[in-house]
Amino acid sequence: MASADKPINTDVPEKDVFALHFLQSLSNLRRQNTFNSPEKTNDRVKKIKKAAYVSMARAAGGTSRLWSRALLRRAAKETNKVVRFSRRKKRVTWLRRRSNRRDPVEEEEKEAERLRNLVPGGGAMETSKLIEETAYYIKCLSMQVKVMQCLVDGLSPK
Amino acid sequence: MNSSLLTPSSSSSSPHHLQSPATFDHDDFLQNFFSSAPWPSSVLDDDAPPPTSDTAVPSFHHHDADSRNQITMIPLSHHNPNDAAVDVNALYSGFSAGSLPFHFPQGSGGGVMKQSHTQTQSQATASTTTGGTAATPQTKPKVRARRGQATDPHSIAERLRRERIAERMKSLQELVPNGNKTDKASMLDEIIDYVKFLQLQVKVLSMSRLGGAASVSSQVSEDAGGSQENTSGENQTAAKMTEHQVAKLMEEDMGSAMQYLQGKGLCLMPISLATTISTATCPSRNPLISAVREAGVSLSPNTATTPVVNVKGASVATVKDASSVSKP
Repeated sequence: MASADKPINTDVPEKDVFALHFLQSLSNLRRQNTFNSPEKTNDRVKKIKKAAYVSMARAAGGTSRLWSRALLRRAAKETNKVVRFSRRKKRVTWLRRRSNRRDPVEEEEKEAERLRNLVPGGGAMETSKLIEETAYYIKCLSMQVKVMQCLVDGLSPK
Repeated sequence: MNSSLLTPSSSSSSPHHLQSPATFDHDDFLQNFFSSAPWPSSVLDDDAPPPTSDTAVPSFHHHDADSRNQITMIPLSHHNPNDAAVDVNALYSGFSAGSLPFHFPQGSGGGVMKQSHTQTQSQATASTTTGGTAATPQTKPKVRARRGQATDPHSIAERLRRERIAERMKSLQELVPNGNKTDKASMLDEIIDYVKFLQLQVKVLSMSRLGGAASVSSQVSEDAGGSQENTSGENQTAAKMTEHQVAKLMEEDMGSAMQYLQGKGLCLMPISLATTISTATCPSRNPLISAVREAGVSLSPNTATTPVVNVKGASVATVKDASSVSKP
C-alpha cells in the first residue's frame, strides 16, 4: 500500500440515474407473466428487491466499486449471465488474505467482520478500504431509499 | 618522522622516478609510509577503508571524499605491508598505466599525507556515524519516528494503516446519524446498525406498495398470530366505522383489510408511535414493521406488531432516526 494517503473518493450517486435504472427494471419485471399472480408474493418481493439492488449497483458506478461488483456478480450468477470484471479483484483478495493473517486477533477485526458480512463483497477488502466502501454504500442506500419512497408515494392511489 | 619521510621524496623530486621500476628509495619510502605512526591503525586492517597509499594517490589527484571508486585502478594487493615491494611494483605499474601524475614534490608530500590523513579520518568518522544511526543500512530516506516509537518498517506501516482507518471512520461519522460518539467501538456499532436499518428499509419499500400489501399482510398473519385481532382494534385512529370495517375485514383476510386502509390513505401503526407523532416529539424508538419481525429481530412486547404503510404525508423515511430497529 502506498505510504501517502490516497484521496477518498466521495462520488455522490445520482438519484436520476438510479430512478431510471430502477424503473426500467420494474417495467421489465412487469412484462413477465408470472409476476402479477398474487400467490407468489414472496418471489415478487424478492425480485423487486433484487432489481432495486442491481439497479443501484449500476447507477452507483458500475464495476468501479467493489460492492457493486459483488452485487452484480451475485445477480448474474443466478441468471447465468457473464459479467466482465477487471482483473483487480484477484489482487484485492490477495491483499485481504495477507492482512487478515497479520492480525486476526485484534478487536477491530472482529467488528470489521460484522461489517464485512453486511456490505456485499466485503470479504475481499482490507479494513481501510472496507470503511471507505461502507461510506459509499451508505450513501447509495440512503439515496435508494429516498427514490423508492418517492416512487411509492407518487404511484399510490388516492 | 615526517621529515624523514619527506627527505627521500625531496631528493627524488622528479616524476620520472615513478616511471622506472621501484628503486630502493621508494621501497623505503612506502614502507615507512605504511608503518608510520600518524596513520590510524585501521588503515592497515583488511576491512578498513583502503590504505593510505591508495587514498593518497587518488586524493591528490581527485580530491574526492569517496576514494573507493578510484581504487580499481590500482591492484588491491596492498593489504600486507610486508609485501610492499611487490605491491609497490604493482602500484607503479598501475600508475604508469594510468594517467595519474603521481609525484612527490616536497611541499605537497606533507599535503598529500595531510589530505589522506584527514580523508581517512573523515571516512572513519563517516563509517562510525553510519554505524551509529538506525540499524537500517538502507539509503532511502526513512520516516523519522518520534521519541518512544520504534523505527522498524512494520510499526510504521501499522501506524499509517491505523491513521487511514481513523480518517475514513471520521468521514463515516458524518454520514451516520448519531455520529457524535467518540468511542470507536460504539461508532462501529452505530454504523452497522445503520446499514442494517437501511437495508431493511429497502426491503420494506420493495414490499409495501410495489410488492402489494398482500405480501405484507401474509407475513403478519404468519408471525403475529393471535395478537393481531386484539390490538389492531386499539390502534385505529380513524373513525369508528372504519374501525369496525377494518376489523371485520381483518378477520376474513388481512390483504383486503390492508387494501381498504390504503384506499383511505390510512395506516396502522403502533400505539407508541402514534402517540409520539401526535405530541410532535421525536418519533419513538420502536418502529414496528412487519418485515422487522420477519427479519428475525426481537421487538418489545408492548407495542403491537402492525405493518406500517404510508400515511398521507408521513413517510417511512422519517423513521430513519430510530436506528435501534435491529438488535439481534
